[in-house]
Amino acid sequence: MTDDMRGAFDAVDQGPRPSDPVAAPSGRLPAAVSLHPTIVALGRRFGEAVLGQVVNAGDQHVVWIDPAATFDIMQWLRDDPDQAYDMMSDVTGIDYGHGRPVEVVYQMFSTRHKHALRVRCALPLDAMEIDSVVSLWRSADWLEREVYDLFGVSFRGHPNMIRILMPFDYDEGHPLRKDFPLRGRYSRAEQTRRALNQEVDRFYTEDVLGQAREVQEVLEGPTAPPRRTEEGGA
Amino acid sequence: MGLMDKLPGVGATPTSGGIFGQGGPTFLTSKIDAIVNWGRLNSLWPMPFGTACCAIEMMASAASDFDVARFGMERMSFSPRQADVLICAGRVPYKLAPVLRRIWDQMPQPKWCISMGACASTGGVFDVYSMVQGIDTIVPVDVYIPGCPPRPEGLIYGLMMIQEKIRQESLSRHYEHRSEDPLLVARPNADKEEIEGLTGPFGNSTRQEQLSTGVVPRGETPDGRTRRNPIYD
Amino acid sequence: MAQKTVTIPVTRNPEMGPGGRLVPSPLMPFEVENPDLGSERMLINIGPQHPATHGVLRLVCELDGETVTKVVPDIGYLHSSFEKLGEYRTWNQIVPLTDRMDYLAPLIYNCAYVMSVEKLMGIEVTERCKVARVILMEMDRIFGHLLWLGTTAIDVGAFTPFLYSFQERERIYDLHETLTGARITTSATRIGGMMADLPEGWTDQLRAFLRTFPDTLAEIDRLLTRNQIHIGRTQGVGAISAAEAINYGFTGPNLRAAGVDYDVRKDRPYYDYETYDFEVPIGQHGDCYDRYLCRMEEMRQSVRILHQALDRLPGGPINVEDPNISLPSKTDAMSDMESMIHHFKLIMEGIPAPEGDCYYAVEGSKGELGMYVVAEEGGTKPVRWRIRPPSFVNLSVIPRLAEGHLVADLIMINASLDIVLGEIDR
Repeated sequence: MTDDMRGAFDAVDQGPRPSDPVAAPSGRLPAAVSLHPTIVALGRRFGEAVLGQVVNAGDQHVVWIDPAATFDIMQWLRDDPDQAYDMMSDVTGIDYGHGRPVEVVYQMFSTRHKHALRVRCALPLDAMEIDSVVSLWRSADWLEREVYDLFGVSFRGHPNMIRILMPFDYDEGHPLRKDFPLRGRYSRAEQTRRALNQEVDRFYTEDVLGQAREVQEVLEGPTAPPRRTEEGGA
Repeated sequence: MGLMDKLPGVGATPTSGGIFGQGGPTFLTSKIDAIVNWGRLNSLWPMPFGTACCAIEMMASAASDFDVARFGMERMSFSPRQADVLICAGRVPYKLAPVLRRIWDQMPQPKWCISMGACASTGGVFDVYSMVQGIDTIVPVDVYIPGCPPRPEGLIYGLMMIQEKIRQESLSRHYEHRSEDPLLVARPNADKEEIEGLTGPFGNSTRQEQLSTGVVPRGETPDGRTRRNPIYD
Repeated sequence: MAQKTVTIPVTRNPEMGPGGRLVPSPLMPFEVENPDLGSERMLINIGPQHPATHGVLRLVCELDGETVTKVVPDIGYLHSSFEKLGEYRTWNQIVPLTDRMDYLAPLIYNCAYVMSVEKLMGIEVTERCKVARVILMEMDRIFGHLLWLGTTAIDVGAFTPFLYSFQERERIYDLHETLTGARITTSATRIGGMMADLPEGWTDQLRAFLRTFPDTLAEIDRLLTRNQIHIGRTQGVGAISAAEAINYGFTGPNLRAAGVDYDVRKDRPYYDYETYDFEVPIGQHGDCYDRYLCRMEEMRQSVRILHQALDRLPGGPINVEDPNISLPSKTDAMSDMESMIHHFKLIMEGIPAPEGDCYYAVEGSKGELGMYVVAEEGGTKPVRWRIRPPSFVNLSVIPRLAEGHLVADLIMINASLDIVLGEIDR
């Protein structure tokens, strides 16, 4: 069976192709397809930046946005009183393989209006960078680090863009990419040897903890949410 | 060497005994062995290196229903300096491997190791880039307990096997039992060929590499050559 | 929705804050006249092998005396790449992987995963299956909370609740084993239904458990809720406000203890949860004591839901009667050619999925558990399987909660978050 798939190997062997504009649904938002109020409002306000939308499985509303406009759209989604997406539930990535763009997926929820939204941004393989939303939602801190670790997507403005699940100096690549083999790129003996030679302490010196303090200051920036204004109650 | 040479009954050629016979175990040393082994096996202090699901079964075996306190093992020693038997319960990724090795090295002799569960013994379900395929590539293991997770009775049976192993030890073979080259501290327990043999493709279906889209992922090795075969290279 | 207020007659003792400070505790416990005057800060490392970290978690702390000035959690010591493994498995083959992530409440993960895939494929399960899954999820919520209770009590220093809660857990282990054959790694669900129907006498066994469980819970409650030592260790420790909690992504009892009324069962209900009569406990102060109270009450509410679900458990088939989804019975497969072909196709190929993605959130015992599956047209394996792990996001808040507290409080805060490293590191 693998012999029949030889054509498919080439797609990965040749390395990443430039982003295919057909890969993500394109075109302007059709007039009244989506009944999700946020997507309708998004289309009205950000017009060009909304690249497409689809409804899966009956009620899974998904909207694609332009990665360049991510921060503005996210800020509006959080701050606009009709949208009020105050909880960023999840940030993750999808790699389809075959040279298709890597997508960053945001799952958001509004505790005030009780609606959920999925926002996807397609990033071409040669420009896998996107703005970080950690200054809007603190939950994005570790979630974006994980996307960087497993997919290689860099988040501009994230104060601590280092690996989180793999060892800090892991150099076999980004594991959840489709061209990364399941068992890793090194042989097992080499992986064992490297594992036992890693110095687990060297990343936690006074300097690094000092950096962590600076990270905190960055996160206290102008778009940060209010801290400790209410003692309790929703 | 040293004291052991001076004790009667120690030597290369076993001859007939008597209390102070020359060579081989004698009445006196076998009695000492019996007492020492009895003391050791009835008061093993486990070092619970619990990582995942097997750790929960280990906790259940310490709780009321299965109760390893019957064996003198309720004092789970979380400090390796005071522990006798390392129970590695759960999967060990490569990031955790140096920690496991360091814990093992910090344990004073006499020490034994139990590899509890499929993941600790062979890697289990996780034949992936991040998982150690069996802790015997890192630390010397005495008893393997299969299961995913093994029932607490399984862990207790494994502990009883360690006790049986201890019962058969002898002070006259002290260096044999406790042999561990101090120069090999923090080095892998198995050499390169052994690791390749232990973690070879036996039992791994080639179809495991196939993704939903029919693509078998192929990457480049760090030195630039393309892997011909996604599993064997 | 209507809220019922319950007052627990326990005096909130402000003098019991850390370092004698009033609640809430300030970030820096002392004023430094000359900040350039270098004071000796200690760098200590807690974990990854440590009895109180509840798994292989590493906390790197910078201490000033006993006070934690900086804590950085380091995870990844249990990374088993479930998500990558999932890409190489057919839909049903992933179910055994889901147990091994949250091994404290495996049935919730089993159910959440298949619910997500069934949603994607547009499969509607039978009524009996729905109620059975609600029963299993609530039972495992109690299961997970009991372990949390036992281990947190040990962290405070109370050993007895550990034995009591594990004794109750043994009875749930028996229920797991009667249903699936395994104690922890149950793998009870399949796409379109369950591995097997509830065996005879299983509901009676569960009812017997529910009859005596509230008494044990009351006994543990008597040991801990009004206990001076427990109150002193937990009140005012690790407090967080509601707005911050939402922004940090807290979910589950941690969020509700801070005063936010968000429970996935009530706000995004699934499997007829809106028809069950139960309450969701909401806290006020967001500290460890409120989290403890919330979880205790949640266990009692789960008992309530279980009684209702057991009463309304209908008969009928447990699996969808579609041969393209559910395996035929063995007798059919052995005798009837068509059934054998269906069996063969299901095992060798799997169930083809439509193009699309689906994010399904359930209320796990730790918080909002989301299963996100992405499939291609006709794909029998997922293109991407993402688990939104509640403990991962909950744990990232530890620096915010623990800085300014003492080291012993750090341990208490870590315990009160109810984390499971299997789902954090996946």
